[in-house]
Amino acid sequence: MATRHLIVGGGTAGLNAIRTIRAHDRGESEIVLVSAERPYSRMVLPYYLGRSIAEAHVFTATPAHLAQLQVQAHLGRRAATLDPAANRLTLDDGTVLPYDNCLIATGSSAVRAPVPGADSPGVHSFWTLPQARGVVGEIREGSHVVLVGAGFIAFTLLNALLARKAHLTIVEIAPQLLPRMIDRTGAEMVEKWLRRDGVAIRTGATLTAIEDAQGQKRLRFRQGEDLLADAVLMATGIRANLEWLQGSGIWVNRGIVVDDHLRSSVGNVYAAGDVAEGLDLVTGQPAVHAIEPTAMEHGRVVGANMAGRNIAYRGSLLMNIVEVCHLDIASFGAWDDPAAEAVAATRPERWAYRKLLWRGDRLVGAMILGMSSDIWTTNDVGMLKGLVQAGSDLGPWKEHLRRHPFDIKPAFIAAGTTARLLPQTILGRPSVPVGPVM
Amino acid sequence: MQVLRIIPERCTGCMRCELACSYVQTGAFQPARSVIRVAPFEAHTSYAPYTCPQCAEGWCLTACPVGAITLSPVGAKIVLDDQCVGCKLCTIACPYGTIFYNPQTQKAFKCDLCGGEPACARACPTAAIEYVEAETADWLGAFAAERAPRHQELQVAGAGVR
Ligand SMILES: Cc1cc2nc3c(=O)[nH]c(=O)nc-3n(C[C@H](O)[C@H](O)[C@H](O)COP(=O)(O)OP(=O)(O)OC[C@H]3O[C@@H](n4cnc5c(N)ncnc54)[C@H](O)[C@@H]3O)c2cc1C
Repeated sequence: MATRHLIVGGGTAGLNAIRTIRAHDRGESEIVLVSAERPYSRMVLPYYLGRSIAEAHVFTATPAHLAQLQVQAHLGRRAATLDPAANRLTLDDGTVLPYDNCLIATGSSAVRAPVPGADSPGVHSFWTLPQARGVVGEIREGSHVVLVGAGFIAFTLLNALLARKAHLTIVEIAPQLLPRMIDRTGAEMVEKWLRRDGVAIRTGATLTAIEDAQGQKRLRFRQGEDLLADAVLMATGIRANLEWLQGSGIWVNRGIVVDDHLRSSVGNVYAAGDVAEGLDLVTGQPAVHAIEPTAMEHGRVVGANMAGRNIAYRGSLLMNIVEVCHLDIASFGAWDDPAAEAVAATRPERWAYRKLLWRGDRLVGAMILGMSSDIWTTNDVGMLKGLVQAGSDLGPWKEHLRRHPFDIKPAFIAAGTTARLLPQTILGRPSVPVGPVM
Repeated sequence: MQVLRIIPERCTGCMRCELACSYVQTGAFQPARSVIRVAPFEAHTSYAPYTCPQCAEGWCLTACPVGAITLSPVGAKIVLDDQCVGCKLCTIACPYGTIFYNPQTQKAFKCDLCGGEPACARACPTAAIEYVEAETADWLGAFAAERAPRHQELQVAGAGVR
């Protein structure tokens, strides 16, 4: 009998796993997909909000495409209980699905600040397509939008909201913008930059309640004046979708604990993406990296392993990049490791700021700010990622980069980084493109 | 597959590859839009062109959330403009720093080997760039390492590089 692969969750990780299985077996195995939503890419939702792409552009596989991949899809259904001893998954409508291998890739959900009124109409999260549609329907030119939370996800929405000509106020409980992505100095630069574009910012602001105020929303704070808004967007964090695994016996810490093959505590149950606590490439320690590249790599590694290969994963590299009003903001690896040796430099006239972090002669993380019109901002972001990924001892080039953090290329090239990187592949063979979804 | 083999010892820093590249890629001579870039070493006494090695992993290609990067018939990783949303994930995923972003069009762009007739190779007067059947390789590492001590010395002495 054909092996039966069961994929739970059709997001980035799930779909990458499916494509990888099919790239390996060309249709010999059975693939069953259970997904609460049709496959789409959450991270391109902001471009739909900003009107630079049509809604249809967010889908990563149409039903026809799934059929072509010979996937039996249960879309709009949720996994309800997993019984690993019997190799069976039960869905919310009672359907029972047996499997040989199972992948858990159910992603995360948005969490709102625990204040009265947070769930009232006019208050939105922006994590799913239905939520994005809700925001699209509500925001008009000149609307005053209050964005609660100034983390990475909130920042991915800024350009779109400004493109819709909304008036924007950002409120953040932490004393700085992007507290989990950049340091204080960087955050101050970003704040100045955004104020020039007319964005109002309140940091260190603890929201206490959201009330209705004659068709508007009134936001109350522990200190400071109330804010009146036409719409409130909450980007106050996420939580992995793991409740349904309670009682399954699958070992969960901050996420599903997985080994270097992305197997959970039960050998034929894998986990990938936002729900997985896998290896961090830099620290070698377990970590939850709720980002797209990790979901993609996890998904491919699981797909290959499900298809019978033996792929060990080196670990994922934390990385985030966002552009707001033509300012690039990026950080990756151990950018905030207090034990690492840090070197920072600014070029105020170009709005450029960098911080490089070292462990011995090895670069372990970096933070970069710079105008998108400066090509080297983009190129250096990549090369710094390459230096971290290659993990090479930079020897004399460390001193060079310490003194000249804006002169990355000679160090990158002379340290032989390209030679170290070229043999690296995630699956031990050249990647195959998936192509656009037509 | 044919790749761009770079022989840095032959490069004179004339920048014709950058001009030719930008002309073919954008229709105008604007080195700022070139996807091959001449890197100076030893405070501008030696040079080497640097571009996408068309790596096997294709970090840009796999990172793209909407499948907007694919393989061209000649084996180059190429950006499909009508699919690219401009999210920049490829620019941070590419460990070689050879993906670019155009703020005007809000699209990523990169070396596509000019569809099999790379303009840089044709424009190079000293054959420092050749388009040949070969395994892609680190063409510049040894060259740069050899020049490293002097590069660092000059840097420390305060000679500008950019
Ligand atoms: C607005 C926004 C912008 C973002 N921007 C970026 C960015 O710029 N860079 C970046 O790296 N990351 C970004 N992200 C994060 C990125 O989208 C996620 O990390 C990624 O989608 C995780 O992939 P995943 O496969 O783990 O989960 P998801 O893509 O969330 O997929 C999970 C799937 O599981 C389904 N599901 C959930 N529960 C069940 C159940 N019980 N049964 C069946 N199916 C279920 C869901 O419906 C969904 O289809 C962004 C996210 C958002 C919302």
